[in-house]
Amino acid sequence: MSRIVILGAGIAGHTAALHAKRLLGKNNQIVVISPNSNYNWIPSNIWVGVGKMQKEQVLFPLAPVYKRKGIEFHQALAKSIYPEGDATTAAPFVEVLYTDPTKASEIGRIEYDFLINATGPRLNFAATEGLGPEGHTVSVCTAGHAVDAAEALQKIIARMKAGEKQTLAIGVGHGTCTCEGAAFEYTFNVDHELRMAGVRNMADLVYITNEYELGDFGVGGMVFTQRGFQTTSKLWTESLFRERGVRAILGAHVEKVEAGKVFYEQVNGTKDVLAFDFAMLLPPFRGVDLQAFNKAGEDISSEIFAPSGFMKVDADYSGKPYEEWKASDWPSTYRNPIYPNIFAVGIAFAPPHQISKPRKSPNGTLIAPSPPRTGMPSGIMGKLAILTIKELLNKGPQAEAHSASMAKMGAACVASSGSGLTQGSAAAMTMFPIVPDYEKYPNTGRSLKDTYGEIGLSGHWIKLLLHYMFIYKAKGRPGWQFIPE
Amino acid sequence: MENPNDSIAHAPLPTEKTLRFRKNLLIQLWRFAAINFKMLNMIRKGHHQKG
Repeated sequence: MSRIVILGAGIAGHTAALHAKRLLGKNNQIVVISPNSNYNWIPSNIWVGVGKMQKEQVLFPLAPVYKRKGIEFHQALAKSIYPEGDATTAAPFVEVLYTDPTKASEIGRIEYDFLINATGPRLNFAATEGLGPEGHTVSVCTAGHAVDAAEALQKIIARMKAGEKQTLAIGVGHGTCTCEGAAFEYTFNVDHELRMAGVRNMADLVYITNEYELGDFGVGGMVFTQRGFQTTSKLWTESLFRERGVRAILGAHVEKVEAGKVFYEQVNGTKDVLAFDFAMLLPPFRGVDLQAFNKAGEDISSEIFAPSGFMKVDADYSGKPYEEWKASDWPSTYRNPIYPNIFAVGIAFAPPHQISKPRKSPNGTLIAPSPPRTGMPSGIMGKLAILTIKELLNKGPQAEAHSASMAKMGAACVASSGSGLTQGSAAAMTMFPIVPDYEKYPNTGRSLKDTYGEIGLSGHWIKLLLHYMFIYKAKGRPGWQFIPE
Repeated sequence: MENPNDSIAHAPLPTEKTLRFRKNLLIQLWRFAAINFKMLNMIRKGHHQKG
């Protein structure tokens, strides 16, 4: 019997846990370690953030699902990995700090045969002074943050109804942020709510982003075919900004936030200040504070983790310049090169580099969207790790690993631009592959046939369908495995 | 870098007909099916590979 330990219960970790139990659970022990007691379907936090959904609609407790499935659950924060064991044991293990109220602050040691790191990101609000709920801006990164954002939004809507003009700054709070798609969604959901409240003419809505062009979304933009023409996500997104009357500040690194003021620098080196009454700025991500030690107790974190705190896997980390980037730089098996029984999936793996072209301002400030690896790719990677472990258990260490490079994988993205069964809308997009492959697709980096975008009410229905479908799947209800990642 | 708001000001503006198209229930039901089909096709092509 082997023990498969999964760190994290987000999209990647939870998907891995359910598939592990289904495919390996008869003869092996499946263990999940997560500091959170709830699963959060994060894509719908946008709707919580504008008051269209309650927090309870995007959360559910993990413990009953794991109990029903026969998965061992530890509500705890992983602190250190000992991939060689220590002086007392040869078995690799993880040291954890319990967050479970019944064991609060207890330290535990959980041995593993295979470890899947799906810890997701640390929300690094501290990277920008004054950013975040403890500073001067709101966020929609967690369901709790989104509830606070909805309350703040209602307050400024009330002020607009009272005749006060308001400026709303929505976007990302650092030059190296990812998740521009979420910022885009929140911008247009807020626009939609302001229209529904009859106060849109009282609002100056400003989208502030590290993207060099609109429609970049951290994936270097897309080229679509529409009505016999090739068009770009830039033109397509600009059209939506024009239609909805949203202003944009591009190529921006937010330096600091003070009460009512965002200080930012742009790629051309200019520095400016945006005064605001309401600001939702997403934080940059970094890896969680996980350390690693060898058998002698020496800190080997720098060998296992990249400087960003994300875990190194089978990617090319040589740091080559943008002009030399290749699709093959991206990992395909997500196994740590030193300890191949450790996988890192979802946001937890260290990408080899950005997807969008990185830029520096004349002052040397890096302004480069980090690559997105949430949602669909995360789920696929989680399942892939389990399929590889199954091969290894059945055929031994030389078994062929499964692979799912983001340079060979497509993604579907539905970016909400307003909620409502008859009045809602969303931009439904597909891209294939996620990481452009200019050797295979020399002109646009992606398959024109499979890269597509469309705005309309149907997109909203799809996003709503995905909400219910993926929560059903995450609860492990009958037939969940037939719903693709 | 150019002022993005100049670029936005010259971006294609959807006509009333296009906006109605985006909200028309019958047309959108058709688009719902068509986009889902596209997404499923892409998922089928692009999940994981072995080796």
